[in-house]
Amino acid sequence: MTRNSGPAMTGVWGLLMLVALTLLLALPARAEPACANPHQMDGFKTCADVAKAEQEGALVLYATDPESATEQMLAKFHAAFPKIATTYLRLQGGALYARILAERQGGVYTADVLQPSDMSFALDFQKRNGYARYVSPEMEAYKPEYRSQPEGEWTWGALVVAGIAYNPRLVTAAEAPKDWPDTLDPKWADAVSVKVTISGLQHTTWFMLRQVYGNDFWKKLAPSKPHAFDSYVQQYDRLVNGQDKVAITAQYSGYLLMKSKGAPVEFVYPPSGLTATPQPWGIVKEAPHPEAAKLFLDWFLGVPGQTANVTYQFTNSPRSDVPPPPGGVSASTFKLLVPTDWHALEQSHAAYVKEWNALTGMR
Amino acid sequence: MRNSGTNMWIAPLLLLICGVLVLYPLVYLVVESLNIGDAQTFPPEEYGLGNYGELFEEPKVILNTLFVACIATVMAVFFGFLQAWILTRTAIPGRARLERLMQLPYYMTPLIGALSWGVLLGPKTGLVNQVWRAIGFNSDLFNIYSPWGIAWVMALFEGTVAFVMISASMKSMDPSLEESSRVLGASKLRTALKITLPMVAPGVLSATIFVFAEMLGSFAAAFVLGIPGRFFVVTTAIWEATLSFPPDYGRAAAMGLSLSGAMVITLAVAKFIMRKGSYATISGKAFRPRPMEIGPIRWLLMAISWGYMIVAVILPLMALTLTSFERFATVIVHQMQFTFANYETALQMGSLAPAFGNSLILGIVVASLGVPTIGVLAWIIYRSRMPGRGAMEFLIMVPQAVPRLVFGLGLLWAWINIPIPIYGTLWLLGIAYFTVFMPLGLRTIAGVVLQVDKSLEECARVCGAAWTYQMRTITLPLLRPGLIAAWLLIFIASVRELGVSVFLMGPNSKVVAPAIVNSWLSSSSELSAAMALMQTVMVFIAVAILFRVARRVGGDVT
Repeated sequence: MTRNSGPAMTGVWGLLMLVALTLLLALPARAEPACANPHQMDGFKTCADVAKAEQEGALVLYATDPESATEQMLAKFHAAFPKIATTYLRLQGGALYARILAERQGGVYTADVLQPSDMSFALDFQKRNGYARYVSPEMEAYKPEYRSQPEGEWTWGALVVAGIAYNPRLVTAAEAPKDWPDTLDPKWADAVSVKVTISGLQHTTWFMLRQVYGNDFWKKLAPSKPHAFDSYVQQYDRLVNGQDKVAITAQYSGYLLMKSKGAPVEFVYPPSGLTATPQPWGIVKEAPHPEAAKLFLDWFLGVPGQTANVTYQFTNSPRSDVPPPPGGVSASTFKLLVPTDWHALEQSHAAYVKEWNALTGMR
Repeated sequence: MRNSGTNMWIAPLLLLICGVLVLYPLVYLVVESLNIGDAQTFPPEEYGLGNYGELFEEPKVILNTLFVACIATVMAVFFGFLQAWILTRTAIPGRARLERLMQLPYYMTPLIGALSWGVLLGPKTGLVNQVWRAIGFNSDLFNIYSPWGIAWVMALFEGTVAFVMISASMKSMDPSLEESSRVLGASKLRTALKITLPMVAPGVLSATIFVFAEMLGSFAAAFVLGIPGRFFVVTTAIWEATLSFPPDYGRAAAMGLSLSGAMVITLAVAKFIMRKGSYATISGKAFRPRPMEIGPIRWLLMAISWGYMIVAVILPLMALTLTSFERFATVIVHQMQFTFANYETALQMGSLAPAFGNSLILGIVVASLGVPTIGVLAWIIYRSRMPGRGAMEFLIMVPQAVPRLVFGLGLLWAWINIPIPIYGTLWLLGIAYFTVFMPLGLRTIAGVVLQVDKSLEECARVCGAAWTYQMRTITLPLLRPGLIAAWLLIFIASVRELGVSVFLMGPNSKVVAPAIVNSWLSSSSELSAAMALMQTVMVFIAVAILFRVARRVGGDVT
C-alpha cells in the first residue's frame, strides 16, 4: 500500500503545492509595515518617530467631512499629542481635489493627510503619484480590498453606507419601500429624492443597482421626477418637512444623526444590499509634516481614531473591532454592495453623468 | 496742470497693476475654456472650441438663466423705484429710519434669504403655505422652488442695489422743476409722470442694466431653491461642473466666459447711457431736495414701505431665527423642539471665531486700502484727460462680468503659479477681494464723481488754489459721502464673500461665508441658520460702529 500509494501521494502533494502556489500568486502582494518593531502607543501602534512628529508640531488635514465632527475628531488626536496642533481644510470633494491638484501643480505643499471623499479621486491621485507610501502597522486590521495596491498609499478609513429613508408620519411601515425596486413605484412621484451627479455615493449606487437589477433600473425612476440634492442634509430636511416621502441613496450616517435629534425618519435596510462607498485616507507626498502625518494616520486607522470617527461622523468603520456608530449597527451586519472593480466604476462615469443629469432635470 | 508730471507715471503704473490683477487670472480662464483634453492638466494638451460648442447644443441652462434674470430685474427695479420714490420724494412719517432699513438685505448673505424663504414658502409645508391651507385653501399659495421663487429672492436680497442707485438719482434731482410744474397747475400724478420720471429715467435704466448683470451671475438663490425644483442656471451648472469628477473646468470656464460676454454687453449699454447725458447735479447752484406733502395718502405709502420691509427683512430674519433654535430644522409646528445647541456647537467650533475675525480684518483692510486706491482711479478715469483711461475703466469692470465662482478658479490658478509665498494666507484673499470688488467701488465712487460739477474745481483753480488745496477743500468734502458709501459696500461685500473664498481660503485663512455653506452642505440647516445669524449680527454691529464713527467725522452714510 505504501509502495502503491507513493506516486499517487506525490501527485496529490504536487497538486496541493501547485494550488498553494497559485493562491499565493493570486493574493495581492502584502507589504511589510514601515518598521519591524512599531511603538505601542495608547491603543494603537506606530512606526512614526513620535519625538520628531512633536517637533514638527502641526498636522494639516484636507477632508470632506462635516466641520464640527472633524474638529471633534482632531481634538481627540490633539488631546493624545498636545504638542501637535491640528488644522484642516473642509471642502466638497471636487473643490478639495481641485485645490490639492492646483497646489501641487504650483509647487505648493500644504496638506499632510488627504481624505478626498470617494475612490475616483483617490485612484486619480494615486495615478498622479500624489501619495507618500507608508504602510501603517494598523493596516493588519483592514481587509486586503480595503487597501491600495501597492499598499500604503491609501486605506479605507470609513464606510459611507446608503439605503432608503422615509418619514413615518407620512408613510406607514407597511406602505414604505422594502427594497430598492419598491422605490420605483409611481406612487412616490414628485415625492422622492436622490443625490446630484457630483456625489460619489450616488455614482456607486447607480453603478451597483444596475448590476443587481439591470441597466434599465434607473430609467424606471424617471416618471417619478426625483429631486436631486448636493447633500443628505437637504434630503432629510425635506423628509422631515413632508416635502418628500422617500429618499433614495439616503446616507446611513445622516439617518443616525437625524434620529439622535428625535426627527421623524426611518431607515430601510434593503435585503438586496446597502450601497457603500469608502473614504480613502492617505499621506500626501511632500507633506510638510511627514512624521506627524504618519503618527496621525496610525492613530486614525487604529482603534482610538476609528472610535472617535464613528462617534462624531456617524459613519461605519471598516475595522471589525470598532463599535458601530451611536444608535447604529455594524456594517458587517448587513449586506453591502461595494464595487469590486473601481476602474470599471471610473469608466462608467460619463454614462452615469448623462443618465443622471437627464433623470434629475439637469440637462 | 500742476500735477501732470506725477500723472505721467501714475496712470501707466495703475494700468499695469489693474492689468496684472484682472487679466492674469483671466488668461488662465480663457486657456482653460479652450482645454478639451485632461481638465486637470495645465497648460492644456489639447485645444479646441468644444466647450463652447456644447453650450449651444444644450441651451436650456442659458435660457433658464436669462428668464430668471429678466424676472428678477423687473421685480428689483420695480421695488427699488417704488421704495426710492416713497422714501426720497414723499414726506411719509419715519422715512429716514425706513431708508436705513432698506439697506438691511444687503448686510445679509444671500444664502439667508434663500434659506428663510424656503422655510416660509416651501411647497406643502412652508409656514405661509401652512397658514394658507389652514384658512381653507387646498393648494399652496406659492411654491418658492420655482423660477418665480428664485427671482423673488434674488430681487429682494440682491436687488437692493437698484434702490440705492435709483434713490441716489432721485435725491440729487433739482426739485425746482417739479415745483414749477405744480405752480403751473399740473396735478401731482402728471408732475410725477411728466417731470419726475423723465428726470430719473437715465438713472433707472442704468440701474436696470447693472442689476440685470448682477442677476445673471447670481448664485445663492438658484443654488438653494433651484436645485430642489429641478431648475438649473449657469451659476449652479458651473458649481456642479467644478465639483464633479472628473472636474469639467473647461465647460465651467466656457460657461463663465459666455455669461461674462452677456454681462459685458449689458454693462457697455449702461456705460453708454451714463456717458450720454450730463449727470452733474451737484453744481454751484444751491438746492435742497424737498419731499412732497401728499396728505392722507402718506399713510398708504408708509404701509407699502413697511410692508416691503416686513417681507424683505423681518419675515426672513424671523424664519431664520426660528430655525436656528430648533433641534432639527422643521416647519411643521407640532414637530418643533427648541434648543441652544446650535449656538453652542457654533461657538465651540475652534475654526469659527478665527473665521469671523479673518472676515472682519479682510473687510476693514480691503475697504480701507481699496477706497483711496479706487478713488484715485475714479478721478483719473472720469476727470483727467490721460490716454488709456477708457482701457483702465474697462479693465477694472471686467471682474463684475465674470461669475465669481469661475473667477475664483482663475485667481487660484494664477496666484498659485506666482513665486510669491502668499498662497494660503489672508494676503491672497485680500488681493482677490480687492480685484473682484474694484467694479463695485468704482461704480459707487463714479456715481458721486460724475455728480460733482467740474465748474466747482475750475472755480477754485481760477481763484488761485493749488491742486492739493482744491482737493482738500472742495473735491474731497464733496466726495466724502460717496467714499464712505463705497467703504461700507466693499466692507460688507468682503465679509459675505463666497465664490472666490471657496477656492482661495486655506487651513489657516478661513473666512465665514464658506463655513456657512459647508455647514449647510454637510452638517445641518439649523447649525447653518445659527452661523448665518451670527454673521448678520456681526455685520450689523460693525456697520453701527461705522455709522457712529462717520457721524463723528461729519459724513453722511445713508
